[in-house]
Amino acid sequence: MTPPAIAVTGLGLVTPAGIGVDTTWRGLLAGVSTARTDPTLAGLPVDISCTVPDFQPAKHVGRRSRLIHDRFVQLAIVAAREAVADAGLDPSTWDGARVGCVIGCGLGGVSTWEQQHKALLSTGPDSVSALLIPMLVPNMIAGHLAMEFGATGPNFVTATACASGTTAIGCALQLLRDGTCDIVLTGGGEAGVSPLIVTGFAQMGALSRRLDEPAAASRPFDVRRDGFVIGEGSGILVLERETDARARGARVRAKLAGYGASADAHHMTAPDPDGVGVRKALRAALAMADVAPGDVDHVNAHGTSTPLNDAAEANVLHELFDGDTTVTSTKGVVGHALGAAGAIEAAVTVLTVESDTVPPTANLDSQDPAIDIDIVAKSPRSQRIDVAVSNSFGFGGQNAVLVFTVA
Amino acid sequence: MTTMYDKLVDLMVSRFDVDRAEIKPGITFEDLEMDSLFLVELLVVIQTDLGVKISEDTASPRDTIERAAELIEEQVASAATSS
Repeated sequence: MTPPAIAVTGLGLVTPAGIGVDTTWRGLLAGVSTARTDPTLAGLPVDISCTVPDFQPAKHVGRRSRLIHDRFVQLAIVAAREAVADAGLDPSTWDGARVGCVIGCGLGGVSTWEQQHKALLSTGPDSVSALLIPMLVPNMIAGHLAMEFGATGPNFVTATACASGTTAIGCALQLLRDGTCDIVLTGGGEAGVSPLIVTGFAQMGALSRRLDEPAAASRPFDVRRDGFVIGEGSGILVLERETDARARGARVRAKLAGYGASADAHHMTAPDPDGVGVRKALRAALAMADVAPGDVDHVNAHGTSTPLNDAAEANVLHELFDGDTTVTSTKGVVGHALGAAGAIEAAVTVLTVESDTVPPTANLDSQDPAIDIDIVAKSPRSQRIDVAVSNSFGFGGQNAVLVFTVA
Repeated sequence: MTTMYDKLVDLMVSRFDVDRAEIKPGITFEDLEMDSLFLVELLVVIQTDLGVKISEDTASPRDTIERAAELIEEQVASAATSS
């Protein structure tokens, strides 16, 4: 029996390019990086980041949000509300038992953790917040969405580092295919721009050191790329079986046709230079979607702007796809939102398929001569897109790939 | 002199985003949507402020603010006697 087709009926985005899908999409089409000097990182080896502008918890989430939600949860609540409204769903009338929440998160409430650790060391255990644990555990991001929407179906968080959001969407696809859920809210949320986490990434040598020129620091596939710029945000998708979505007259924005996952089993942080794992995940995703590599019109790359990732990823894309496949990296504009990155990029891939428009890769001034793929730079490109792929790769060697097709 | 009640009310407004206009005699923590976790957090903040150990089960969400203030004062007094 053919498995049921899965529809994307709602999108929500909170990114450094803005709060909301339309604002983020406009920012991506403009192709200007959002990276800037971050006063909260002053004095650290790397003091640049991409953060969500003008995010006010009391206004955007609600009164007392600051007391009970770490920022990674706040960003996801706002994105999820937009996605549910976009899908035209009314949580007061749906059968919550059939609604799941599967959200990717690589870190959890790291800012809360750091602040409370400071309190422990400076004023002792009696000053540690009773809300520390519920604010820091990563699974709370899915738990809060369940409470927000009365979604009592399967509820969990996936952690595959920078692939977490993509992994979550893949798991959500399975819950709909096998009939466990009728609706799944899925995606990712992350707020890792904290002094300790940024210092940790800096010490690894993963971050760009273009500190005097922050807006030029995130430059995926460019010959002068030297690391990623840390970002934050949330992307949430509402998924349903296509038959259910059409029956209720919902707008199908695109179809989620395939998911593939693999592990490099190679190194803690470096990608396998031969791309064996990446190729395996790509082939698995294409097989599930029942499309051949030659059918793929566009790839939203992981494209972090690190020397190793971009070279290894581009090699696989060059080998697997033909010259007509365009490639972009969203991270040039919004930086690398870690566990939320794959979810943000999945939502962007849906918009790309829907509009037949590829947003440009920011700062691609001079493509690395060792990279032979067609990367969209400078301005958006109009192109017919029936099949698009979104790649995500996590530290730990975890690879996850999604395939979206036109509605 | 600031009473314990005033101190509690000030903290609830400044740290827990409670609307001062909502606080009336006889109102409970529950009425103000402060559950047991919020109440424990309030006690954490108070004991840090006073430098006196306040037991985390000192008050319940069904207590009024006046009653919680009395219970905290009793603990402060007993801490003063025993030290």
